[in-house]
Amino acid sequence: MVETASEPDEEYLQIELFPTRLLKPETTQNLLEELSEVDGIIRAFIHGPRLPLSVPSGPATGQDVEHPHRKVIQIGDTAIELSISVGRIRLEITDKDVEKEIESIAERVLPCKYELREGYFIPKESTVTDYAKRGPNADPKRRGLSDPKASEESQVFVLNKPENEDEE
Amino acid sequence: MAEIEKQYYPGKTSVANNRSKHMSNDLEKLREISDEDLTLILGHRSPGSDYPSTHPPLEEMGEPECSIREIVEPTEGAKAGDRIRYAQWVDSMYNAPATPYFRTYHSAINFRAVDPGTLSGRQLVEARERDMEKITKVQLETEMTCPGLAGLRGATVHGHSLRLQEDGVMFDMLDRRRLENGTIVMDKDQQARPIDKKVDLGKPMSEDEAAKRTTIYRADNVPFREDDEVVEWVHRIWEQRTEYGFQPK
Repeated sequence: MVETASEPDEEYLQIELFPTRLLKPETTQNLLEELSEVDGIIRAFIHGPRLPLSVPSGPATGQDVEHPHRKVIQIGDTAIELSISVGRIRLEITDKDVEKEIESIAERVLPCKYELREGYFIPKESTVTDYAKRGPNADPKRRGLSDPKASEESQVFVLNKPENEDEE
Repeated sequence: MAEIEKQYYPGKTSVANNRSKHMSNDLEKLREISDEDLTLILGHRSPGSDYPSTHPPLEEMGEPECSIREIVEPTEGAKAGDRIRYAQWVDSMYNAPATPYFRTYHSAINFRAVDPGTLSGRQLVEARERDMEKITKVQLETEMTCPGLAGLRGATVHGHSLRLQEDGVMFDMLDRRRLENGTIVMDKDQQARPIDKKVDLGKPMSEDEAAKRTTIYRADNVPFREDDEVVEWVHRIWEQRTEYGFQPK
């Protein structure tokens, strides 16, 4: 088999943090802020029901929604506009010690019960769509982090960049 | 409202008892919603305005001679020639007091001239406008509804199977109602069009109260398998409809 340039060269562990409630933007900010300071998180992915800017269907189509949970949150120097109510956080981490650290953060920050499970949550291999959309030399770390139909810039954020690396 | 006898439901658990209460319209009134507020959140006409009609009042129309028309008295809405309008409900799977089936049983058993639609995550009832308002008012004011765990949603009903928000309120992506100072307020109609005032829908039920008033069997509250009589009847109905359906020719 021919190896493409986008194959990852290391096998990382993947975990999912699943709170029993949908999180408020303030809780999301606190959680992500703490997680951003943990060494050993390679990639993170937040997931939850969408918060549209305007009513998508019915007689009120086009009316502004102004959902109070659609807020700009600040993680370190990066401002992110939340367009979902966060329900799960999927993480790719280097080893089990990082998982324990994440569990202690969840214990401290989350106001509700949660599940933390290991599994396969973020794609490790390119799909045909990835290949067609991003080409053979796409960055493997960005794989599976954004909707193929949306612009990557609006959905993928790079935190804690290595000092010698330019803008990604 | 039609006078009906008590409706029975098998089982001795609180869920079985609540199901019987919903079907019998034997409901505790928990809050007061004014007619004006109800009209505002339904969004079909302006509060205080006349009911628009689709035909002249029956008295003026001169109905044809018909023995059925003589037996069946028309409802108030039909007499006046009201339009058919709807109210649509969404009830959370997390111990909301009602479910689509029991909202339908409640309206079909206790009211006349209704056309309920029962779906997996939502329930709507169509009727002449003033008849529909009457049914909706009963459902909104009584223990059939917790304003935090149920909502009037004409479009974009998403939310019944999602986890609750941190504040214990069912998710609504169009933000029609929210928790403010301990009560649920609604400032959009069921279609998510803004309305002029904040309608107070009352306090949401506590987790314990919702668990007590729910008609949903759940493994973490009253499990279905522990209600032997219900299981027996469900088995009996399934068996009989299967046998009836098996008709080799």
